[in-house]
Amino acid sequence: MNAIEIRNLSKSFRGMYAVDNLNMTVPVGAIYGFIGENGSGKSTTEKLICGHLVPDKGKIKLFGRDYKDAGVRVRVGALIENAGCFPNSSVWDNLMMQAINLGLKNRDEEIRRVLEIVRMEDSAQIKFKSCSLGMKQRIGIAMALLGDPALLILDEPINGLDTDGMRIMREILVDITQKYGCTVLISSHILGELEKIATHYGIIRQGKMICEISAQEMENRARVFVSLKTKDMQGAKDALQRKFANVREEDGYLRVYDVNNTESIVEYLLKNGHVVNEIKKNKIGLEEYYIELMSKKEGK
Amino acid sequence: MENVHKLKFESPSFIQRLKGMLGVDFYRLFHTPMFYIFLAIAAFIPALILSTTGMENPDGTMSPQLYTNVWNAIAANTPLYTFNSIGEYANMNMVFIFGGIMVSIFIGHDYKSGYVKQLFTTHAKKQDYMMSKSITCAFAMACMCITYLLGAVVSGLLVGLDFSVNVGSLLIAILSKMIMSLGWASLYTFLNVIFRRYFGVSIASSFFFGTGIPIIAIGMIFGNAAGSVLNIFLYGSSVYACLSSNIVTLLVCLVVSVAWALIYNVLGTILLSKSDVY
Repeated sequence: MNAIEIRNLSKSFRGMYAVDNLNMTVPVGAIYGFIGENGSGKSTTEKLICGHLVPDKGKIKLFGRDYKDAGVRVRVGALIENAGCFPNSSVWDNLMMQAINLGLKNRDEEIRRVLEIVRMEDSAQIKFKSCSLGMKQRIGIAMALLGDPALLILDEPINGLDTDGMRIMREILVDITQKYGCTVLISSHILGELEKIATHYGIIRQGKMICEISAQEMENRARVFVSLKTKDMQGAKDALQRKFANVREEDGYLRVYDVNNTESIVEYLLKNGHVVNEIKKNKIGLEEYYIELMSKKEGK
Repeated sequence: MENVHKLKFESPSFIQRLKGMLGVDFYRLFHTPMFYIFLAIAAFIPALILSTTGMENPDGTMSPQLYTNVWNAIAANTPLYTFNSIGEYANMNMVFIFGGIMVSIFIGHDYKSGYVKQLFTTHAKKQDYMMSKSITCAFAMACMCITYLLGAVVSGLLVGLDFSVNVGSLLIAILSKMIMSLGWASLYTFLNVIFRRYFGVSIASSFFFGTGIPIIAIGMIFGNAAGSVLNIFLYGSSVYACLSSNIVTLLVCLVVSVAWALIYNVLGTILLSKSDVY
C-alpha cells in the first residue's frame, strides 16, 4: 500500500495549469522529497492532497482510500506555507485548539509531547506573533504532529532558517519518522538538506512529475568524478581527453567523470608534464542530479 | 522504529466531528477579547440610546424622546417593517447588525491566520465548518441579546423610564430574537464563506443585510400589509418578535430561523465543496 497515490491530477487557475496530469507514488514510511523550482506546482499539489483546492480532474488516494475520506484525513498533519496559527494566541492555546479539533483525549499530555519533539517545552506561553521564524516553523510541525498523524505534508519547512535552525529541523524530522513511523512528504529548495533525510524523491516541473526515484536508486546511479586544478588547464584537459572519455572544465576545475582513482590521474598527468595543484574525489549529489535533469528537459 | 504506526483509519462519526469543530470555535470565542468586546458593545447600545434620548443639545434645544417605555428599546409595540422614527428601528435587532460584524471578524481571522487550513486538512466534510460557525456565532449573538437586555434595563432605571409591559409577550419577544440568532449567524457565515478572500467586503455585506435594508425597502413599497410575507425572511421575523408577541410569534421565529439556517448551511457546504477553500 502507498501512503499517497496520485493519478492524472490536474489543476488550473484561469486556464493555466499549475498541476498537469501529475502522477505520484509515495510509499508508506517514506520521507519523500518533493523538488521543483518556484511555481512548478509543489504547493498546489500539496494543497490538493490536503483538500484545500478542488482538482479539475484526477484521483488522489491516501493509504488506499479516497482523499476525502474523513477517517484518513483526520490522520493527516500539514504545514503548508505557514503554521496557520492565531497570532494573538499563545503557542499553548494554538496547540490546544488543534488538539480539541482532533478530538484528542489527553490534550495537555499530547501538547507537552509535541512541544518536546520540536524542542519548545519552555515557549508554550509565548504569543505566536512573538515567535521567531524558526520557532513558528517548529510550532507548525508541532501542530501537524498532534493526534498520531500517519502522513505529514510539509511545505518548505526549512526555508528562511539559519544553519542552526536547519539542523534542529533536520533532527526533528528524522526523529519523528524514526520514532513515530510517519510518512513524510516534504518540499524544499534546499536540496543539500533534503538529501540528508529523504528516502525518495519526486521532481516536478511545470506541473508535471518528471522523475520519481528512491534515494537508493539515486545512490546507485550517482556518478563519481575527480576534480582537479593544474597550472595549464587547457593542456591538462587535452591530455586527459586522450585517455578518459568524459572530461569537462566546470567551475574553474577540470572534471574527469566516472573515475575515482586520483592516483592514476596524478601519475598520468605527471607523465604528460602537468603538475596537479589540487585534486579531490566527488560524487554527483541531488543538486547536480536535479540540475542535470532540468538541463536535459530544457534541451541544453 | 520505536513506535511503528498502526495504519488503522476509523472514520469519526458526525457527532465526533462536529464536537471537535465546535470545541475549537468555543475555545477561541472564550479565549479572545473580541467576544467580550462585542458583549460590552451590545450592552452599550441601549445605554447610549436611552441616556442620550431627551437630553439637552448644546444649542439649548431638546433631542427628541425616542422612548417613554424602556421595553421599546427591546422591541416595537407592533411589528413595524417600515419605521417613521429611529426609535421604532433602534431596538434589540441592532444586535444582529453588530453580530454580523463580529461573525465577519471571527471567520475572517480563520482565513487571515491560515488556521482554516488546519481545519480543512483534518475535516474533509465542509458541513462541519458551516454548522460549527453557525452554532458558535448564534450562541455569541444570543449572549449579546442578553447583555443588550441588561444594558437597557440598567440605563432605563437610571433615566427613569416606564417599565410597564406584558411580561409574557416581552419574554417571548426576547426569546424569539435570541432564536433568530441562529438564522442570522448562518446568513453571516454563508456571506463570509462567499467573500472569504475579501475581509472588507465580508464586513460590508454582513452590515448591509443586518440592517434589513432589503426588507425595509419591500415594506416601504407594499406597506406593513406585506408583513405576513415578510415574516418568512430573517429581518421580517426579527421585527415580528415585538411587545405584542404570542406563542405563534415564537413558533414563526423558530421555523424561519431553523429553515434559513438549514438553507445557508447547505448552500455554504456546496460552495466550500465545489471551490478552493484557501
